[in-house]
Amino acid sequence: MSFQPKIVAFLCNWCSYTGADLAGTSRIKYAANVNIIRVMCSGRVEPTFVIKAFREGADGVLICGCHPGDCHYHEGNYKCLRRFHLLQKYIDQMGIDQKRFNLEWISASEGKQFAKLVDQFTQTITNLGPCSIKTTMDVLS
Amino acid sequence: MCWCGTNIAKMVDVEDVAKEMSKLKHVVLAKDYKYMCSDPGQDMIIQDIKEHNLNRIVVSACSPRMHELTFRKALENAGLNPYMFEMVNIREQVSWVHSSRSEATKKAKALIAGAINRVYWHSSLDKRSVEIDPTTLVIGGGIAGLSASLKIANAGINVFLIEKETVLGGMLKNIDLSFPHFQGANELIKKIVNRVANHPNIKAFTSSQIKEIFGYVGNFEAQILSKDKEELIKFGSVIVATGLKTFDPTPLTNYGYGKLKNVITSLEFEKMLSQGNVLTSDGSEPNHIAFIHCVGSRNQDYHPYCSRVCCNTALKQAKQAKMAIPSAQVYNLYADMRSIGKDNEEFYANSFNRDHMFLMFDQQKALPLIKSASPKDNCNLIIEIDELLSGESLEVPADMVVLMVAMEAQHNAKEIAHATGISMCGNDFYIERHPKLDPFATTTAGVFLAGTCQSPKDIPDSVTQANAAAARILAAIKKGSAEVEVTTAEVNEELCCGCQTCVKVCPYTAIHFDPDKKVSVVNQILCKGCGTCGSSCPTGAIKCHHYTDQQILSQIEGLMQMSYELEEDLL
Repeated sequence: MSFQPKIVAFLCNWCSYTGADLAGTSRIKYAANVNIIRVMCSGRVEPTFVIKAFREGADGVLICGCHPGDCHYHEGNYKCLRRFHLLQKYIDQMGIDQKRFNLEWISASEGKQFAKLVDQFTQTITNLGPCSIKTTMDVLS
Repeated sequence: MCWCGTNIAKMVDVEDVAKEMSKLKHVVLAKDYKYMCSDPGQDMIIQDIKEHNLNRIVVSACSPRMHELTFRKALENAGLNPYMFEMVNIREQVSWVHSSRSEATKKAKALIAGAINRVYWHSSLDKRSVEIDPTTLVIGGGIAGLSASLKIANAGINVFLIEKETVLGGMLKNIDLSFPHFQGANELIKKIVNRVANHPNIKAFTSSQIKEIFGYVGNFEAQILSKDKEELIKFGSVIVATGLKTFDPTPLTNYGYGKLKNVITSLEFEKMLSQGNVLTSDGSEPNHIAFIHCVGSRNQDYHPYCSRVCCNTALKQAKQAKMAIPSAQVYNLYADMRSIGKDNEEFYANSFNRDHMFLMFDQQKALPLIKSASPKDNCNLIIEIDELLSGESLEVPADMVVLMVAMEAQHNAKEIAHATGISMCGNDFYIERHPKLDPFATTTAGVFLAGTCQSPKDIPDSVTQANAAAARILAAIKKGSAEVEVTTAEVNEELCCGCQTCVKVCPYTAIHFDPDKKVSVVNQILCKGCGTCGSSCPTGAIKCHHYTDQQILSQIEGLMQMSYELEEDLL
């Protein structure tokens, strides 16, 4: 069987989750590899959540928040952005390719863009192949 | 596990999912049903809670944005705390977006397994309510804002009304007669403005704007910026009724607006009508008047939506033009007639009997093209149109062309959205809480919408929405209190090291530092539950209720483990 990546996505409730719902109501088809976890704000996404997803065997992690300036909580998405850059450096040192971790802005009206993003990210991760961190950690522990 | 008729069941093997889920740890029973949100569906949940002494419920169905509250209510009715519940979105985010039944079923299982893991860590949260200051702020002095202000003020409640222009009245100030009954729009609005201006309970501020609104439902405050002064006002509810503006047709080069004389917008033609002189640029009466519909509306390059009022406005203006100049020939160049609303279809049908010519064009293929006429043409302009119904290419003579311009969101729509804490759709109109069941509330408690700032509307629809928003606010005032967010953050004083990182990242200044205890304290009323503090806390002292670390980490674990198990089954 060909490699089917497992992807965890954290979506903010107000923009991105609503955008993903819109993709649904518009019946736009996209890859089934992304498992969505709803948070109120992308600012809630703790580094631990991302690390945990990789630890449990995710091949890719995606965070989606409101576009800059549109955050329901004013600036949670900026806080997320800052953390994202630091976290990318961190996972790199753990031996996880930075391309496996992505942050994108999806508004409530961008159902089409969300579907496209999922397909592109799934393709990127498929090309990268399985992430080995879970196996490594399983051996270590 | 809800089927949602065939909406979910067609793409997800719901019965198989239920069977699989019943094997998981802590699961007492797993059931599937045609429509979980229906009364029998909810009754089943309530019955099962009582019968089996269940203390956690997971429902997989549509988006929680649709029915989370419905099911929380069901839990409450069964005597269970509403937060002992988790909803899994397997319709909008699974069955409607995937095309392989086996993949969709697998994904549904993983997501539900995550939710089952998560709900284990849920805890009871108690409702919190605050008193409501009855004073209401209305932003926008057009027909919607004025109607809402009057309704609220007539109930004996004080209203602050803010208008950015020098006078009240909004868009209708510029409209001569309304469709379909030819009532004077201008007179209508003057009467209402007078009533508002003389109402003892309404304080109107013209040439004014508000700065950012602070506070929470029932207890807001904001600075009003007027010409020469600033004033702090306090209020409990807000109605946003900021209206819309007309589209500038200059970019549609086919129509030559701004270049060709006698090509004008519907608003400019309306002004001619109200002044009583419909004249071309050289001061003569036009013999041929053409109305071009959908200018900037239903056009993928500008606004994909229908502006809702232009068809009827064109019919009305054409009739008025015929009344002003009975010998004139009028043409409606339309893409699709949308004469919806009470009495409007009859109004349209009536135009046929009045010698109006209707010519249809295909907006996808080619827009009409306006050119200057040559001297021998005996008119000012020539419109080339590929007429759809006859299939012929025609040249329509015109002395004057009226462009039925689209309605679009205000220039400052974004600023107002930020100031009031509401969200916009892609086209900059404001998003309602629920498109069908709550079309005048917003996702911010205490802030409501009225009129065309939500979407283009005619007068009756604007007034209806304004009255509905007013009724909602009056109901809240009558009740006296409102429930506020309980999924807030809380500091564990034992773990807090006093670094104050949370104080800096909080967008609502809801966290302060207690210098005596040397710990951070969250104001539970000001906190809106974004969780940014929780993810910044270096010692894990902040608990974001209902989005705790444990809950989310378990959810990740549950869904990943199920994904792997299902993969192994296949191998």
